[in-house]
Amino acid sequence: MKQPLTLRRLLWTCAALLVVLFGAVLVALKVGAVPISMTDLAVDLGRVIFGRTAQMQSDYRLIIFDLRLPRIELAILVGAALSVSGAGFQALLRNPLADPYVLGVSSGAALGAIIALIAYPGIPLVTPLSAFLGATATIAAVYFLGRRKGQLDSTTLLLAGIIAASFLSALIIFLMTTLSGRDMRGMAFWLMGDLSTPLQESLRWVFRVGLVAGVGAIYTTAADLNLIATGEREAMHLGVEVTRVKLVVYVSASLLTGLAVSVSGAIGYVGLLVPHMMRFLFGSDYRILIPTSAIGGAIAVVIADTLARRVMAPTELPVGAILAIFGAPLFLYLLRRRFA
Amino acid sequence: MNDPNKYYRQKLRVNVARAAALCAALVLFAAGNAAAQTTGEKEKPAPGAMVIVKDEAGRSVSIPQPVRRIVSLAPSITETLFALGAADRVVGVTDYCDYPLEAQKKEKVGGLVNPSLEAIVALRPDLVLVTTSINRIQTLDALDRLNVATYAADARGVEGVLRSIGRLAEVIGSASDGKALVAALQARLDELRRRLTGVTPSRVLFVVWQEPLISVGRDTFLADALRLAGAESIIHVKQDWPHISLEEVVRQQPEYLVFASAHAEEELAALVALKNAPGWRDLKAVQENRIVVVSDAINRPAPRLVDAIEELARQLHPAAFADAPRTGAAAPKGGAR
Repeated sequence: MKQPLTLRRLLWTCAALLVVLFGAVLVALKVGAVPISMTDLAVDLGRVIFGRTAQMQSDYRLIIFDLRLPRIELAILVGAALSVSGAGFQALLRNPLADPYVLGVSSGAALGAIIALIAYPGIPLVTPLSAFLGATATIAAVYFLGRRKGQLDSTTLLLAGIIAASFLSALIIFLMTTLSGRDMRGMAFWLMGDLSTPLQESLRWVFRVGLVAGVGAIYTTAADLNLIATGEREAMHLGVEVTRVKLVVYVSASLLTGLAVSVSGAIGYVGLLVPHMMRFLFGSDYRILIPTSAIGGAIAVVIADTLARRVMAPTELPVGAILAIFGAPLFLYLLRRRFA
Repeated sequence: MNDPNKYYRQKLRVNVARAAALCAALVLFAAGNAAAQTTGEKEKPAPGAMVIVKDEAGRSVSIPQPVRRIVSLAPSITETLFALGAADRVVGVTDYCDYPLEAQKKEKVGGLVNPSLEAIVALRPDLVLVTTSINRIQTLDALDRLNVATYAADARGVEGVLRSIGRLAEVIGSASDGKALVAALQARLDELRRRLTGVTPSRVLFVVWQEPLISVGRDTFLADALRLAGAESIIHVKQDWPHISLEEVVRQQPEYLVFASAHAEEELAALVALKNAPGWRDLKAVQENRIVVVSDAINRPAPRLVDAIEELARQLHPAAFADAPRTGAAAPKGGAR
């Protein structure tokens, strides 16, 4: 730890990150396939604040408030969820490589989605629901496979996750060959991570509540996670209920991942990279790492999605690919720097 | 952190901070949500009459009248709109809408799977046209939720393509142009059927993709187009784009290999390489040069499909066309301006 954590430092750090996030959101609102000038944007935002929406041009209103804003919100929710669940898995497994994707959760969700596409084509709500069920089922399976002598064993758990991921990926490939051309292309795009489909209002509420519950639950264990990081036995001697903490983190992190994957497909690197960056910047105290990871993840996905919308506009790129392109080199840099 | 009391005091303080942060987050989301909802009502300012039609996917669509601004999300639809003489009403097309050439000059809204919703909305379309065979359901749902009138075409089989062209013409208010175009196309198909009566269908392999080998399933309109052209695919599977083993093809020994390309001559020249390719060189069709390349229009459920069918029929059954040498008759009718 760089310096002792105080409430003041925590609040200032979060406030600074929120300012960055706000800036990213403003840029994301402005930039896109359809150019919108900063003054127009400011005027429109002003009109919303003063309740004079009727004066706005209808197509800009549609673009900014019905397309970009919900999409930015989705990016924030997905980024925060993936990043916090990544931080949670890393603490739980005391392994810097742990991440929802390594543990097979995303593959489980993708399998759920593809089964829904085949079994109930044309019913839009079934796909995310089934993806979420797939994610939780995978988590449960990996969790039980990862136990040895009644204890969660980090190595076994990680290996079980990797094997589960490759097994599920094989099933996905098998099922994809049976899809029609259109569904196959749509599915491939979804597998690369995609935020371009606006979410139904009801689903958005599910997501908001799920995010707050999941992040909140993990945060209640933050102090215990600090002690677990020094060693499970030591933590136990200091009075930490290690098993309970592990269960809480595992279930909440799985919930967060399932939610994120079910609405956005497989967006990788956020859960791996953002907690590492935050650790690098603010130290490894989980009480500051979890909130900063949440905000940092939101910033990363908002920026990546803005790039995805803009780089080849009007054609959209999968946001997962953008994150991997920038994420992999950045991760290697952080890794080298840490061990140098 | 050595002093447990200090540790818990700190934990308490952090708890307060945590609660504050969560509240702030909730307020932020609620505010964003309220903003989205207040803007959600009253989508289009005082439109004229609305017509409610059932689209080919069975959805009810209310379409503002008259239809002046159309966005097409499929190459086949763009082509059909141009053939119907509605070119000047097309305000947006996809990156893949390459025919006719003028279509490429229209505003682009992105790809087929991932068009930009905001680019579509910014064009203020009266109507967006999609096909169920190419566009994603998610795109349809998203446009519905944005209250953008979206009509889905769904063409099964060649007759279905003609019907779909007629429906599309009605929907955009060009019913008479549509009737004329469909009648002309139907007449050509009837003439083709008359010429091919009594002709034994050629057994063909339609090659969609060479490595790996992908052909067409029995339910695709391509399989139907082959039948109308006096050909019969050797592949009879339910899957639309089956991956076929070359062994199976060697066993079946098709009479012709059929390829589709925008540049037939070059494609034909490139296919000479098959004579040396393992597996392929064991096919009698390759050894005896029975390789046919037709226009890639055969891939599109649009008016030029009939041209491609005629072209394929001529190449497979030249005898049936002995009295009708290739003339301008094969040019698209209905006036692609």
